[in-house]
Amino acid sequence: MNQDEVFNKIVTILSKYSKADIAAENITMETSILDDLKINSARLVDIILDFEDEFEIEVDDDDADAVATVSDGVKLIMAKL
Amino acid sequence: MAQNKMTLSWREKSVLRVQNWIGWLSFPIWGSAVIAVMRWQFGYRVDNLAEVRKRYEQIVESATGPVLLCVNHLTKFDSVILNWSLASLWSYFSDFEKFSWNMPERTRYRGHPLYHPLCYLGQCFPIERGGSRDSVKKSMDKVKYLLGKGHIVTLFPEGRRSETGRIDTEGYSYGAGRLINQLENCTAVCVYLRGHNQKGSSSHPPRGARFQVKLDAFQPTSVHKGLRASRDIAAQVIEKMNQMETAYFAACGQ
Repeated sequence: MNQDEVFNKIVTILSKYSKADIAAENITMETSILDDLKINSARLVDIILDFEDEFEIEVDDDDADAVATVSDGVKLIMAKL
Repeated sequence: MAQNKMTLSWREKSVLRVQNWIGWLSFPIWGSAVIAVMRWQFGYRVDNLAEVRKRYEQIVESATGPVLLCVNHLTKFDSVILNWSLASLWSYFSDFEKFSWNMPERTRYRGHPLYHPLCYLGQCFPIERGGSRDSVKKSMDKVKYLLGKGHIVTLFPEGRRSETGRIDTEGYSYGAGRLINQLENCTAVCVYLRGHNQKGSSSHPPRGARFQVKLDAFQPTSVHKGLRASRDIAAQVIEKMNQMETAYFAACGQ
């Protein structure tokens, strides 16, 4: 799976949880999950668990803590695939 | 059980130890003053105080590992009323580890001429809601350090004051679950604290409030690992608190 495919799947997952008035096509690698998408830290855990299911990976607490932007999520997943 | 590397420096540990020591040494003065204000200025009372204290004593004595108080959150006085309810002045002075630490948001008291010193003496260290991951991790490390040293810590598992006046079973934080998941044999003491005339959340309980305090201890475990375990355990704690709330309102005929 390449980076673009990972990015697109992440955007689909994030769109389910985002409380911000931001369209999926406006989400970029630099988008902050907590600030720009107005997702709280508990839902961020749910998102990372969705990453685990979608990409069949395991993410530990410290790795999860490092995810702040879409780019962080993409890098994390690419490293574990 | 997940283990995370703790990043607390010797200096940070010393700061907590000194705070604990100063709080204990001056406790007869400020502890008496706070209780006097609550009882005689605000007219607060706690139902079945002796029974609540006996139950707390039993739980603490029988715990084989860290003890984490998981409390519902309706007013900014919750932790003060909680500590008043759980043990007598003498009991705290003779064993100050029973006086629970608490983590108010920094902006709630910083610089306030009364709350700031009282929070320091009353075993509070600040957290920054929505702060950086590093600051959140640092706060978690402080909690783990204190629990590891036999201190008791209060957490509000909902993550904030309830907006509806009822336990938030949807938008709660997973912080309590994560902490319990990282500690061995951690006893979660779920506490349901509510003034009889407390309708929803507010800054202070109304004058003359009578509080009911119920305690229920258990050791949450999960068949899952990592984040999934944290979520599972957080859900168990919230569910327990929700059951206590349901029982409270059932007893009130509501």
